[in-house]
Amino acid sequence: MSAHAAPSTADLVARWRDEPAPLLPLLHALHDRDGFLSEDALRAVSQALRIPLADLFGTVTFYHHFSREPGGLNKPRICTGNVCCLHGGNELLAALKSQGATAMPCAGRCDEPVPVLRGHEQLVGTSATSLAAKPTPLPAPNPGGCEECIFESIREPGRATLEGYRRTGGYEALSKAVREMTPTQLLALVTESKLAGRGGAGFPTGVKWQAVADAPGQPKSIVCNADEGEPGCFKDRAIMDYDPHALLEGMALAGFATGAPRGFIYLRYEYPETFRILERAIAEAEKAGLLGVNILGGVFNFTIHLRRGAGAYICGEEGSLLNSLEGKHPFPRNKPPFPVTHGFENLPTAVNNVETLASVPPIVRKGAAWYRGLGRNAHAGTKLISLSGDIQHPGNYEVPIGLPLKTLLHDWAGGPQTGRTIQAVTMAGLSGGFLAGDALDCTLDEPSIRGKGSFLGAGGIIVFDDSRDMVAAAHAAMEFFAHESCGKCFPCRIGTQRLTERLNGEAGPSDLAAWTQEVRDIGTVMRATSACGLGMAAPFVTDSLLKFFPEQVDNYVVSKEPNNR
Amino acid sequence: MSATATERELTMTLDGEAVGFRAGETIYQVAQRTKKSIPTLCYDERLEAFGACRLCVVEVDGVKAPVASCTTKATAGMVVRTDSPIIEKYRKTLLELVVSENREVDVSPLRGFASQEFTTLVDRYGARTGRFKGRQSGTSNKTDDNPFILRDYDLCISCYRCVRVCAEQEGDYAITMMNRGFGTQITTEFNGRLKDSACTFCGQCVQTCPTGALADKKALRAADLPGEIAKTRTICPYCGVGCSVDLLTKGDRLIGVQPAMDGPANQGALCIKGQFAFDFVQHDDRLKKPLVRQPDGSFKETEWDEALDLAAAGFRRSLKEHGRRSIYGIASGRAPHEAAYSMQKFIRAGFGTHYIDNCSRA
Ligand SMILES: Cc1cc2nc3c(=O)[nH]c(=O)nc-3n(C[C@H](O)[C@H](O)[C@H](O)COP(=O)(O)O)c2cc1C
Ligand code: SF4
Ligand code: SF4
Ligand code: SF4
Ligand code: FES
Repeated sequence: MSAHAAPSTADLVARWRDEPAPLLPLLHALHDRDGFLSEDALRAVSQALRIPLADLFGTVTFYHHFSREPGGLNKPRICTGNVCCLHGGNELLAALKSQGATAMPCAGRCDEPVPVLRGHEQLVGTSATSLAAKPTPLPAPNPGGCEECIFESIREPGRATLEGYRRTGGYEALSKAVREMTPTQLLALVTESKLAGRGGAGFPTGVKWQAVADAPGQPKSIVCNADEGEPGCFKDRAIMDYDPHALLEGMALAGFATGAPRGFIYLRYEYPETFRILERAIAEAEKAGLLGVNILGGVFNFTIHLRRGAGAYICGEEGSLLNSLEGKHPFPRNKPPFPVTHGFENLPTAVNNVETLASVPPIVRKGAAWYRGLGRNAHAGTKLISLSGDIQHPGNYEVPIGLPLKTLLHDWAGGPQTGRTIQAVTMAGLSGGFLAGDALDCTLDEPSIRGKGSFLGAGGIIVFDDSRDMVAAAHAAMEFFAHESCGKCFPCRIGTQRLTERLNGEAGPSDLAAWTQEVRDIGTVMRATSACGLGMAAPFVTDSLLKFFPEQVDNYVVSKEPNNR
Repeated sequence: MSATATERELTMTLDGEAVGFRAGETIYQVAQRTKKSIPTLCYDERLEAFGACRLCVVEVDGVKAPVASCTTKATAGMVVRTDSPIIEKYRKTLLELVVSENREVDVSPLRGFASQEFTTLVDRYGARTGRFKGRQSGTSNKTDDNPFILRDYDLCISCYRCVRVCAEQEGDYAITMMNRGFGTQITTEFNGRLKDSACTFCGQCVQTCPTGALADKKALRAADLPGEIAKTRTICPYCGVGCSVDLLTKGDRLIGVQPAMDGPANQGALCIKGQFAFDFVQHDDRLKKPLVRQPDGSFKETEWDEALDLAAAGFRRSLKEHGRRSIYGIASGRAPHEAAYSMQKFIRAGFGTHYIDNCSRA
């Protein structure tokens, strides 16, 4: 047998079957080996993990990137997300059709379009000949000269290595916590800092951790939500690629505070390079005694397991994520109970976003008051904003919470391309819909943006200049939600589809009043009755379209004309 | 204090009235008990509440968005409205949306026990407005030629009751949901035929389907037969479990079987035999006269007196020559109860042996 012989199915089963959360890594191992998931492979997995074959089959078909056809893994998948379709994504898809290319939703590279997934790599480029693997763009130095929390040292060369991380204070926070603090003190510090969830919902992190610490049941878990599926969001990727140890240290601190001995990173499929970077970082930290048993020579144990999704935006929703990790069909869970008491394997679990966790080490080192002071107008802390679309300098920016939106757009990011004006921006990636006109006079904090009828969420902002057709933009957004709706609940499963059809002319009344009534009624029932945040948020797109761009809607429905050519 | 009063010591307010409930009950369960008629499509009281259809949403004081009453536990002091105009409007819109994704709303009641649920709700809410037109979801499987279950997914509304009943009640996990969102499709592993899956053809998925997307092919054979459908409650004669069934008849024809959801032994479950194996009753090959085997091995039709005399003589001979233990009675699973009773009496009292059994111990 040659040293490079592909591992047998039995070997792979043996490698994974007794690990925690084994389904996804085992499926990936087989998918990577064969280039697709064969019937034989699924039968073996079903037997090994005792998952009924029908359930397993259904679950596999849920994920966009598990191929069931031979050769599927090596066929190019082209991003045709909202930003990439402004930058030639559809044209690139057409050019690569002969290679079996298919479309994929936003792959989190909106700052450097167009990403293409092929085999184990993400390539970027705007033409078939210019595709190349490139490192994630490094965040530019803070254009406002503002003090940063997360990006403070990210531009240091070698920061992604343990040695580089330690040069600028890395693992000092963990060492301080383990040696000098009690979990109660750490919980109090995080609560005082007013750090709130950066994954979208903004729940106070200290309160969440306290609930996990107080909940009965062991082993508890820290689950890092690195699914980053929201279109127009690519901030977590920058953190993980350039500062992976900050995330690991943040997770270990969360474990210390809550009494959780294990952590999982649930990373989106579309970031293969990030997977390798995290894998290396975890190995380095384990080797240095910073993860694993008896961390820093003390009694604290904390192990991190890296898991990869397989292409499903809804797996960023925490209940769906936990089901996915557990190898179940990734529908969201009914709440209550919440993950803090009934999370991974029904045990207490803190699910936190990458940015949230990476904020914790600097907070521990510099104090709660320091962190709170980074914000403006009584808002605490900073927020990463992923800015993309029709803007001179797309990229990730760490802003003081409360910074005026226009300062970011015009002073920090150079404004629109010459000769153009900004027509609209999205908020919360796509989930917050559009802001336009006077509503652009807001500050980057939840109260201000909610006051304009939207929300900041995970901090993705996509810019549309005056050359863009906003009905087409709304259509692309709704098509994303329809593609990603899990199909569990009726309002979202049918509503996202019907709204998409109404935005592309496939179906719906041609009378403007009837069209508007249908779109509003669908939106209202989705917002009020959907089972999770996806269905509740999707109608922001249509509502804001009707609010800010009634003439474009009129033009589209009545005269069937494209807008702003 | 009576036992029930202690058990229901917690109280909440439902549409303005104080009602007691037990810890652990959902709002929907409390409402059911107090005879509210909250509409549902994904609910089957035998299954874990799922929260898919969202028709059961109610308003709860102090909670911003409506909540699904099927998955939300009642809490002490909760103030709930089950039928405000806004909630009723949501329900109508939801039903209009569901109507828009299906090929048709009206289906034959022969399709299955719950097949009229959707139609009934659509009419209750006046949801045949033709709004929200667009693509239809679910594709009927026209290649599965099994004789029992029609897989007419053009009518499927993705309530997942079939998948859940198969897993939670039957324990077979034969079916699943493929893909996601509007592309969701109920199917088996590898999108194949039921007979190649773990399906036992118990028919429970058929009977819980609220739209008739899964339908009873055997009963549907009688769709064009004239006459009203009558239901007669009885017990399945096949085995000792004693599942309650409703026999469906048109005139004097037996056309189908449905499980009794309130059957104490089966709660809506049946096996393939109780559910589908009734053709023998009216089959052309069914014996109507006794046959006597001839020395050359062939059978000759005869009259009852002659046949019974022959049989009695044979029994007597065996008893005399070989003793009572040489007699063993096996009652037919297809015989009515009275006959089964007579049979065991005949064997026990007539021959003095307990060697009596039934042919189907399923
Ligand atoms: C449809 C949907 C998608 C989501 N996607 C993500 C995601 O990709 N990353 C993330 O951190 N949170 C996501 N969330 C939010 C999570 O459910 C959860 O609130 C968050 O991970 C909690 O972490 P935090 O408190 O640190 O923000 C999503 C929520 C919804 C409803
Ligand atoms: S709102 Fe959409 S994504 Fe969320 S549970 Fe319902 S169908 Fe699934
Ligand atoms: S007939 Fe019974 S076993 Fe077969 S799919 Fe339906 S519920 Fe499952
Ligand atoms: S086939 Fe029937 S029971 Fe199954 S999901 Fe569809 S509508 Fe529901
Ligand atoms: S019955 Fe409550 S959501 Fe379906």
